Formats: sequence, structure tokens, C-alpha cells
Amino acid sequence: MTYEVLEHTADLRFRVRAPSLAGAFAEAARAISETMAPNCRPAGVVRRIELGADDTEELLADFLSEILFLADAEGIAFCTFEVGIAGNRLTATARGEEFDRERHRGGAEIKGISYSGLSIKEEGESYVLEFIADV
Amino acid sequence: MGDGVKRVSDLEWEVPVGFTPGMRVPGRFFLSEGLRRSLEPGAIQQLANVATMPGIVKNALAMPDIHWGYGFPIGGVAAFDISTGVISPGGVGFDINCGVRLLATPLAVKDLANRRELVERLYDAVPTGVGAKAPLRLSNRELEEMMVSGSRWAVEHGYGVARDIDRCEERGAMKGADPSQVSQKAKQRGFPQSGTLGSGNHFLEIQEVKEVYDQKAAAILGVERGQVTVMIHCGSRGLGHQVCTDHLRALETATKKYGITLPDRQLACAPVASPEGKAYFGGMAAAANYAWANRQVITDLTRKVLSKLYGISAESMPLVYDVCHNVAKMEVHTVDGKETQLCVHRKGATRAFGPGSPDLPAEFAETGQPVIIPGSMGTPSFLLCGTKVAMEKTFGSTCHGAGRVTSRTQAKKGMRGKDIRDQLAEQGIIVKAPSEASIAEEAPAVYKPSEEVVRVVDAVGISRLVAKLVPLGVIKG
Repeated sequence: MTYEVLEHTADLRFRVRAPSLAGAFAEAARAISETMAPNCRPAGVVRRIELGADDTEELLADFLSEILFLADAEGIAFCTFEVGIAGNRLTATARGEEFDRERHRGGAEIKGISYSGLSIKEEGESYVLEFIADV
Repeated sequence: MGDGVKRVSDLEWEVPVGFTPGMRVPGRFFLSEGLRRSLEPGAIQQLANVATMPGIVKNALAMPDIHWGYGFPIGGVAAFDISTGVISPGGVGFDINCGVRLLATPLAVKDLANRRELVERLYDAVPTGVGAKAPLRLSNRELEEMMVSGSRWAVEHGYGVARDIDRCEERGAMKGADPSQVSQKAKQRGFPQSGTLGSGNHFLEIQEVKEVYDQKAAAILGVERGQVTVMIHCGSRGLGHQVCTDHLRALETATKKYGITLPDRQLACAPVASPEGKAYFGGMAAAANYAWANRQVITDLTRKVLSKLYGISAESMPLVYDVCHNVAKMEVHTVDGKETQLCVHRKGATRAFGPGSPDLPAEFAETGQPVIIPGSMGTPSFLLCGTKVAMEKTFGSTCHGAGRVTSRTQAKKGMRGKDIRDQLAEQGIIVKAPSEASIAEEAPAVYKPSEEVVRVVDAVGISRLVAKLVPLGVIKG
């Protein structure tokens, strides 16, 4: 599993590839979390997320928006994610630590996840997600 | 330039109906030869997409700082008839009422002998960067009052002087704000962040008025050559981001309910007069007012630092003006000779009402509305005024900034924060930021030249140059 940051002039455009849809969602969450808070380690903070949506694109936008909310509102640096997807429902466990301005220095706030440029595709044995985050 | 785009005049271009299926009106944008090279095809496509939205009036417009965003292009302006048109968070963005204000001071550059200390003290006083906590402790009731009264709330709670209120667009509080349309999640993010700068391109800058192009207007606005000014650029923080996220979700459903077909889901919208449209407007206005209070609190923190260091009073540091550049507003404009009620979206664009506008304080009746265009760390910012031409061509709108040309990823690959800091120091500009990466991402070279962008709006006539401001010290988030 891996993610890359693609060219986008104003914002951050991510591409994520993983063998399963749930794995790709987990990697997308890791991509935005690492952008906001680098050098994170899983140290005791755990949050569980359950969501439903009308389609898979909306499920991805809602899931990543929920990570942004928890990170910002509760001051958490997240680093690992376990995701389960059944139809258009998602359950996830997110692990991390309390955000520390010194330890997690150098990150950028993400303001939101856009539907412009959001896509979910199957390519051979992989799921490929692309999305733009407003920074 | 994309295939099918037509040149209308030296600086004006048209995206004709048919460029993308479903366009209701042509797109129109302003650009010089010098700025053409940096225009992405994605930005023109986004402008064409806006032209497909129901109830759009005259043209989908973009200012010379047009670039590829999400939903609307950045630099985008569109007006919708309030009885037949729509309202969309895609035309405002996540950072509702991201905006800029300019403070005048009685100081000259020679008075800033201890400039590094000034930058350090401002950096200590104004919370910046990811995870910064606010100086305020707000109750639920106070947060709700802040979302209704904006700048006035902050002034009444000791964060400013009465005159500040008159010097804000909308007098620092949009009417129609509805805190009940701001979710508990958004409020939770808003409590600890009022009075914080944020990160990304947000900044606080100490500047010098380097050139004055229009002496008369500059005198009315209260600036003169050689004077030290302070520019503050920030928005509605996590509260505004959450309001956008929540309502975008609700409007996605509404788009289907009202049978609206769109080329991009980020343009999710509802009729202005529908319950969903009104709900978004109420929440957006509340977030906009929170942003005005936010900039007002930062203004107060800034004045306190300057007062302590230089022994000057808050009254001697008047607000020149405060503009927002991500917002949707109900405005009356003349369309085909008739006064028409419109919902004007400006996303990365600034209101630029002309002389005599009833929405301006009496002292600006002759000059038109002050317009503040921030540069980047090493490039100048500009003070301009709104014009009659803007009222005729762009629903009283102009550009909002320089506009990026290089992605953040490229910037970090190609430039080291430390080198940029050193180069700026050689030019006499002191930069203080939480990390080297945040300096590299916002380096001067990643933006279009601010001079060229304002030259184009001045030449087209949609605003008029008044003064040029150059950076002396910057704090970044």
C-alpha cells in the first residue's frame, strides 16, 4: 500500500493504491493524517468511526472529513487505520497520539475534502483512489 | 489557451456556450499575455462548469488570478437570480470569509530599529500553525453571539475600537446569520480557535507603504508613503471548514431532490429560496461573522504588541479596511437596465464596489470601496479602490491575490525553507514560521507576480491602484 502526492497548483492531490477498497480507504486516511501531523506514533489514543453513505465516493469524503474533524476538534495526531467496508457502510479504528506542536511540527492544516477530482477505480488487482484536499 | 476560448479584447477572454455541455451563459475572464502561460486548462473547464448552474446571470466570471481549484475556479465570480438561481458551497470554498485587513500605524520604517524583536513578539502573541490554541475562552452563548455580531462582538468585548466596525465589509457582520445551522461539530472546532491565524497561505505581515499612485484616495483611506502598515490574512478556521463540509453533504442530496444536473459534484447546490439553500446561507453567514471576529481579535493582539514596543495607542492604529474573498452575498445589481436581486458568489475574489455605493461608509463615497490585495512573503501587496466599471462588468468584483503557479509539492522539492528565509533576510524581510517546510510552500516564486495581476485589474478598470505595500516582516502559520 502506498500513496503519492500528484501535481495540483493550489491544493494537495493524492493518489492511493491498495489491494482492497478498505485498505485504500485506510491509506487515504494515513495520507491526510501524515500531512497534518508528521512523525506520529500510535500511543494510546483510539477512536472508532462508523458511517453510512449513498455511494462509495460519498463514503470516502465522509470518512476523511470525519478524520479531519477528530484531529482538529480533539487535538489528535493519527497514524494507523483499520477499515472495514460492507456495501456503503464503513467501520474504522483510528490510532494515534495527542497532538504535540513540537513533535508534530511542519504539518499543514487540511480544510476539507473536495468532490472535484475524487475518483475510485479498480485497476487490475488494485483499488486506486484520487482526491483533492484543500490546504 | 484551451481550444474554443475566444479573445474579446486585449485583456478579456470568452469561453463560449457549448465549450462544455449544458452551459447557460458564456464564461468570461481577464488575463494578460504575461499571465497566460500559467493558466491551467482545468481552471477554464471549471469556469465553464459554473456556467451550467441554474439561474446564472450574464457570465461566469474569473479574475486575472484565476487558477485551478475545486468546484469554482479560484478567482471565480458568479451571480444567480434569487428567484430562479442557486446557492452553492462550491462557489465559496471551505474557508468561508477567508479575508484580508490592513491596519495603519503612525510609525515610519526608521522607527522600527528593533524589527526582529517586533516579529518575534508578534509570533509569540498571535497563535499560528496547526494545533494553535486561542487566547479566548468562549461559552456556548458567546460563540453564538459572535456568529451573529461578528466584528461588533469582538469590539464590545474589548478587542478593538468602535471605528473598526465601520471599516469592515458588511460592517463586519452579515445579516441572516443563523447559528442553528452551525453544527455542534463546527462549534466544537470553533471554541478553541477564535483569535488564531491558521496555516497554509495565512499570514500577518509588517509592511511599508512604498509607493502612492493616487494621493487623494490614499489620503482618504489614511495611508501615506513611508508609513508602516500591518496586513492580516486569515479566515473562519475549523468552524467554517466544518460548516462547508456539513452543508455540502446536505446540498448533495438537495441537488438530486431538485433535479439539478451538474458536471462536478463539488458544485452541489439548491435554489436560493429553498429550505436547504437558506440553511446553507444562514450557516455560511454565521461562519463569515466568526471570521470577522477572528480577524478583530488578532488585530487587538497586534495592536497590544505595537503599543507596548513603541508606546502608541490603539486609536493611532486605525483599520484601513477589511475585505472577505470567499463568500456568497445577497446584493442588488443593475442587469440589462433593471435593478435585480442576486446571490453573488466570490471564491478567491474581492468585492470592489464603486464610488457612491450605498453599502459603503460615507467617507468612501468618492473613492469607492478599499480593496486589499495581498502579495506573498517577498512580493508587494496593493491597496486599490472599487470602480463603476466593476459594477458594470463583474458585479462589483476584482481579484483577491497573486494566485499560485507552482504546487506545494514542487515548491518543497525545489526550494529549501532555510535558503528562502536567508534570501528574504538579505532583502530586509524577516520571516518567522513554525517550520522550514511552511516557508518553502509559500515562497515568493510559487505565486504569479502580484504586480502583473493588479496591473490587469487596473487596466481593465475593475479597480484602481492606490498604493503599493512592501513586506518588512512576516509571521506565517
